[in-house]
Amino acid sequence: MTQDIQFTSPPPLSLYVHLPWCIKKCPYCDFNSHESNSGGIDEDRYIDSLIRDFESSLSLIHDREIVSIFIGGGTPSLFTAQTLERLLTTIDQHIGLKAGVEVTLEANPGAADHERFAAYHQIGINRLSIGVQSFNTNHLKSIGRVHDGDQAQDAIRFAKAAGFDQINLDLMYGLPGQQLEHAMQDLKTAVTQDTIHLSWYQLTLEPNTLFYKKPPVLPTDEKIWEIQDKGKTLLTEAGFENYEISAYARNEKYCQHNLNYWQFGDYLGIGAGAHSKITDSGKNVISRYTRHKIPDRYMQLSGKDEMVTGNWKLSIEDTILEFMMNSLRLSSGFSTRLFEERTGLSINSLELQLDKAIQCGWLDITDEKILPTNKGLTFLNDLLQCFMPSSS
Amino acid sequence: MQLIRNFSIIAHIDHGKSTLADRLIQTCGGLSEREMSNQVLDSMDLERERGITIKAQSVSLNYLSRDGKTYKLNFIDTPGHVDFSYEVSRSLSACEGALLVVDAAQGVEAQSVANCFTAMENDLEIIPVINKIDLPSAEPDRVINEIEEIIGLEAEDALLVSAKTGQGIDELLEAIVLKIPPPEGNPDGYVKALIIDSWFDNYLGVVSLVRVVDGKLTVGDKIKIMSTGLNHQLDELGVFTPKRSPRKCLEAGDVGYVVAGIKDIHGAPVGDTITSIKNPSTEQLPGFQKIKPRVFAGLFPVDSNDYEELRDALDKLSLNDAALHSEPETSQALGFGFRCGFLGMLHMEIIQERLEREYNLNLLTTAPTVIYEVLMTSGEKIHIDNPSKLPGVDKVSEIREPMIEADILVPQEFLGNVITLCIEKRGVQKKLLYVGNQISLTFELPMSEVVLDFFDRLKSVSRGYASFDYRFISYNAASLVKLDILINAERVDALSLIVHKDHADRKGRDLASKMKEFIPRQMYEVAIQAAIGAKIVARENVKALRKNVTAKCYGGDISRKRKLLEKQKEGKKRMKQFGSVEIPQSAFMAILHIGKDQ
Repeated sequence: MTQDIQFTSPPPLSLYVHLPWCIKKCPYCDFNSHESNSGGIDEDRYIDSLIRDFESSLSLIHDREIVSIFIGGGTPSLFTAQTLERLLTTIDQHIGLKAGVEVTLEANPGAADHERFAAYHQIGINRLSIGVQSFNTNHLKSIGRVHDGDQAQDAIRFAKAAGFDQINLDLMYGLPGQQLEHAMQDLKTAVTQDTIHLSWYQLTLEPNTLFYKKPPVLPTDEKIWEIQDKGKTLLTEAGFENYEISAYARNEKYCQHNLNYWQFGDYLGIGAGAHSKITDSGKNVISRYTRHKIPDRYMQLSGKDEMVTGNWKLSIEDTILEFMMNSLRLSSGFSTRLFEERTGLSINSLELQLDKAIQCGWLDITDEKILPTNKGLTFLNDLLQCFMPSSS
Repeated sequence: MQLIRNFSIIAHIDHGKSTLADRLIQTCGGLSEREMSNQVLDSMDLERERGITIKAQSVSLNYLSRDGKTYKLNFIDTPGHVDFSYEVSRSLSACEGALLVVDAAQGVEAQSVANCFTAMENDLEIIPVINKIDLPSAEPDRVINEIEEIIGLEAEDALLVSAKTGQGIDELLEAIVLKIPPPEGNPDGYVKALIIDSWFDNYLGVVSLVRVVDGKLTVGDKIKIMSTGLNHQLDELGVFTPKRSPRKCLEAGDVGYVVAGIKDIHGAPVGDTITSIKNPSTEQLPGFQKIKPRVFAGLFPVDSNDYEELRDALDKLSLNDAALHSEPETSQALGFGFRCGFLGMLHMEIIQERLEREYNLNLLTTAPTVIYEVLMTSGEKIHIDNPSKLPGVDKVSEIREPMIEADILVPQEFLGNVITLCIEKRGVQKKLLYVGNQISLTFELPMSEVVLDFFDRLKSVSRGYASFDYRFISYNAASLVKLDILINAERVDALSLIVHKDHADRKGRDLASKMKEFIPRQMYEVAIQAAIGAKIVARENVKALRKNVTAKCYGGDISRKRKLLEKQKEGKKRMKQFGSVEIPQSAFMAILHIGKDQ
């Protein structure tokens, strides 16, 4: 491919903040998370580091608007509202956050109480993502979670009482020992909580996790498929739209932050091990950056050049594949315009690949959109093969 | 000529031939310490990795004997595996003597016996050498006894050496000088040189290893290759020390190489005679028996665009390997490829590996088969090297399969296992002899049963101790049928097999269930059936994959998700699309895995 990358304008920019500590590391988790030792977390030291990190990154994002903030982890709800407020205030001072911009915080039921949640709401956090995973205490134990089913329901109650109207529940299926009726029970409980968003995803064994080394006995593929099939129906009947492979929303209350990832928007990631993707529309390049993973080292290096451990530019092939890896997860797919805006490339160069995917019954093309079929969504990895360089 | 000694080494794999050769080269100063890499004669990467010799090579060494004279020792290396016994007989024909090297702990093995008999038939002086006497488990007396009993060779004054420590090497060199006779021949006679081997060198063209029998070859001479009748000019000649060292001339009794601007390997056929225009001989040397491949398999590029590359690669390999045959083949399932003939399974594996490694080709190989003789009802006799080409039952009056006689040497404790294996492979016992600790067994076996996995199985049932050698005896009529494999009700020609009727049902079941293990779940259900004629004897299903999608993908680290996609793509590269089904390479070889885990 010899075509040029040409951006008309930079894509929307989100901010991701990583808080890397948990009370206990879960055996399935492959995120950059670390158990907080008995001494506790030096919250102020870490927040100071995040501020240095953010300020040193300002030159990359110039004066661009931030469309969403996501504070993830780890277990961000281990941090108090007081310290988090210092960070949000600094961000606002530099960028000027618009009113109503989505600010999400991840919380785990094991570290939840009413006052804590109320304080979060007060400092401007307007969306809470609760790591419920299951309401079944036995299954929670089997995946090493520190909370039980009652605490999960309590956490949701606290969040509502604290004033949150945008609540996401993270739920998993395909857990060790889980039967169809267990999974359905979890979903029934979830939909009656009257929340607007669900992330319902299959437990998978990822490299570099305890479960990968010592795999638990999981339900068969057939059983998992049945759970997924029946579960989808249940959620649809409860008014949830399955707008991304594992994401469900009521009343179009999509997660703006994740939607920006899936629409191949930009994001600045600050914190230990955080990743960024930034488009420089002047130089017509998309770059990715990674931060030092070990919290202690990250805090020492924060704000210095050595904090960034990886920094690379995307090739045209990378750009196309990564765009597809994200945007084809959305049931509504993408428009030609979005492709051209976000990749700086012309869609015409993809004619052959698109044709093949359409022939396989994986893609549909309408006047405005290119979108995955049901089959394309179920076999997304096969669909994505069409967009991989043939030599790799 | 009185100061020349031409010899080779007969040894079983692992009995230390290459180490001994290295030691001889080192002792005679053929290479400096710096240039010595282990096993200098095995120059192909594959040879070093597998610890085997595939092609014959030679090296000329100068040895100052205790009698004060300097002798020229020409050592011609020989391969040690049954597949390459043809190369052995060629090497031996250029020598007056041979060292029979036997491992002091392992004792005599079948391959060495066979090669030793070839040497005896060629009237070579054989010097028994017991190697590895530094091992704590060495039993030289028992081994001497085995050499005498199994081979019938006087071994009382066998030389005891350790190629590893250097012990006994001086005595061995003296024995070579004293016991092996100098070559005979007339240095002033009509020029006759035997081509022992020819290979293609990218810079020089065809290089031939020759033994000058009579007369003298000098640089600049006009020579004639007697079978082609074509004239060439000798551009370069010399010896290997083992580096290529040019000389002015090669005289009667010498072994060395010649380069004469020949561009095509067929221009200097192995076994042919070279003579000179100035001093021409009219009489050709006896040469060698033409070699016939015994094992056949289809080689197909996974990516059909690689067909031309595969053809070029096969052409290049056959330049150096007269035993490799190939002709174009078309398969409904696999597209365009080549049906190739090999000396045996090892030869086939080596060719396949060289194609993949040296030519970077991604190949599918069908299960190996032998040549069947088919008597048609019309009275016509045809030869079938591809099971899918077997005519319909109504047109065939008799199918004959090649039979071999296998000589097996095995320690007593494994005798039961080995007999059970031979019977399972439809063998008929011919002879059983007790010799020392070992038993010498002779079985008549269908060759088709041997080419598949006999060698591996023999090694595993005897914990590596049994050794064997075989020769073709005749075609025998047998009750054979064609076993077809159907994928989603369609026959896959490349998976057809010819099997014995009594084993057909069981083989069909085993094969279908093995195939099920090898074919990964995919988007649609895959039905695997085994059929004999119209009768289905087995059916297995590979259930459809329900989904193939990454559950979670947020901003973060996209590279890991990419790696998963790349891994899946890499896996697909090794698969052949058959209708809507992707069949991995391993499934085409499933037959080789039957019975392995029992």
